Amino acid sequence: MVEITESPLDHAALTERVRHANAGAVCTFLGTVREMTGERRTVHLDYEAYPEMAAKKLDELEAEARRRWPLIEVALAHRVGKLELGDVSVVVAVSCPHRGDSFEACRWLIDTLKEVVPIWKRERWADGREEWIHPGLEGR
Amino acid sequence: MTVAAIVPAAGASVRMGRPKLLIEFDGLPLIAKVVAALVEADVAPVIVVAPPPDAPEGPPVAEAARGAGAHVIAPAIRPAAMRDSIELGVRELGRLDPPPDGVLIVPADGVKIEAATVARLVAAWRERPARIAVPTCEGRRGHPPLLPWPLARAILDLPPDVGVNRLLADHADEVDAIPVDDDSVLFDLDTPDDLRALGVRTVRLFAVARERAGRPEVEVSLPCPATVGDLRRALADQHPALATLAASVRIAVDDEYADDAAPLSPDARLALIPPVSGGGR
Repeated sequence: MVEITESPLDHAALTERVRHANAGAVCTFLGTVREMTGERRTVHLDYEAYPEMAAKKLDELEAEARRRWPLIEVALAHRVGKLELGDVSVVVAVSCPHRGDSFEACRWLIDTLKEVVPIWKRERWADGREEWIHPGLEGR
Repeated sequence: MTVAAIVPAAGASVRMGRPKLLIEFDGLPLIAKVVAALVEADVAPVIVVAPPPDAPEGPPVAEAARGAGAHVIAPAIRPAAMRDSIELGVRELGRLDPPPDGVLIVPADGVKIEAATVARLVAAWRERPARIAVPTCEGRRGHPPLLPWPLARAILDLPPDVGVNRLLADHADEVDAIPVDDDSVLFDLDTPDDLRALGVRTVRLFAVARERAGRPEVEVSLPCPATVGDLRRALADQHPALATLAASVRIAVDDEYADDAAPLSPDARLALIPPVSGGGR
């Protein structure tokens, strides 16, 4: 399942959701709002999605991961809107018969999600400045 | 012989679903484009009847029209029908001394109206200035009609529930059809389909792109057929604030990343996709 929501993500419920009698391994990754980036302090984050495309890309990621690994259940959830320090911004939960596949699939899913799913974050720094985080676009 | 124009531009764009006079063509709001064509054809004054100042689109429509050289009237209450807007324009012209000799009634959505076509119409009318000149193309009557001033003034005396077309019908034997080689005189811009027929596309913007443009979507005029590469160039030309982004970021067509050679179908959904927040692992 995939989900884009403004509501807080219930990572425990998502983990529970992928548990299965044939799964010997469940792997859950959480992305959370970090306070310090080097010397800079974050006050909060705003996430914005291109909702239709983001949902489509998440669906495609799930399908591709299922082709590559023997996944039993998959949950991909991303939160949008204003997030406070420590909030969970993204959850990837997978279940597989064995742990090796679950680690690999979970890693591939979060890395690929961060590259192709059109969801952006805007940093609100403690010095009052705000900026969209667009890797590769700095200064252009 | 002086020719003025009245551009009723106070409508609510109900069928378009958004203020159509602010839709941009080649980087100019529609209303500015229409006014500029009239000014270029030596029509003066160009009276634009704008939406009321408290309507969201009122001030930007008025500003764009004024910037292009129009004299703007912005009634406090939105006129109920186009005919009411035209009346306001006629009253305004009636205050001039002397009033103009002829008056063009120009639909504000005369998107592709060309100065040369207006000039041709005016020149033809000047040969028989007591008559009404109506441009025709492919045998069909179009916009804008040019009325001698006495007849324009008679709009004020029409019964309240009829429009200007009635005046033309009542004076059918005074109408001269002026053939012009410009099918834009037949075109009305009323619906999103009309817009697409003109090659105008909406591009959705997110994150830094939305911030730089100051809005969540922009219009671009594209050639037909067009590719993603054409879209990049058109964005850069027509929306300078997006020029650097348009050149470098990914573009989505129908919710899918597309390369520059990809063709754009007429109803494709388009979006600029700045790099996503990925980054540090």
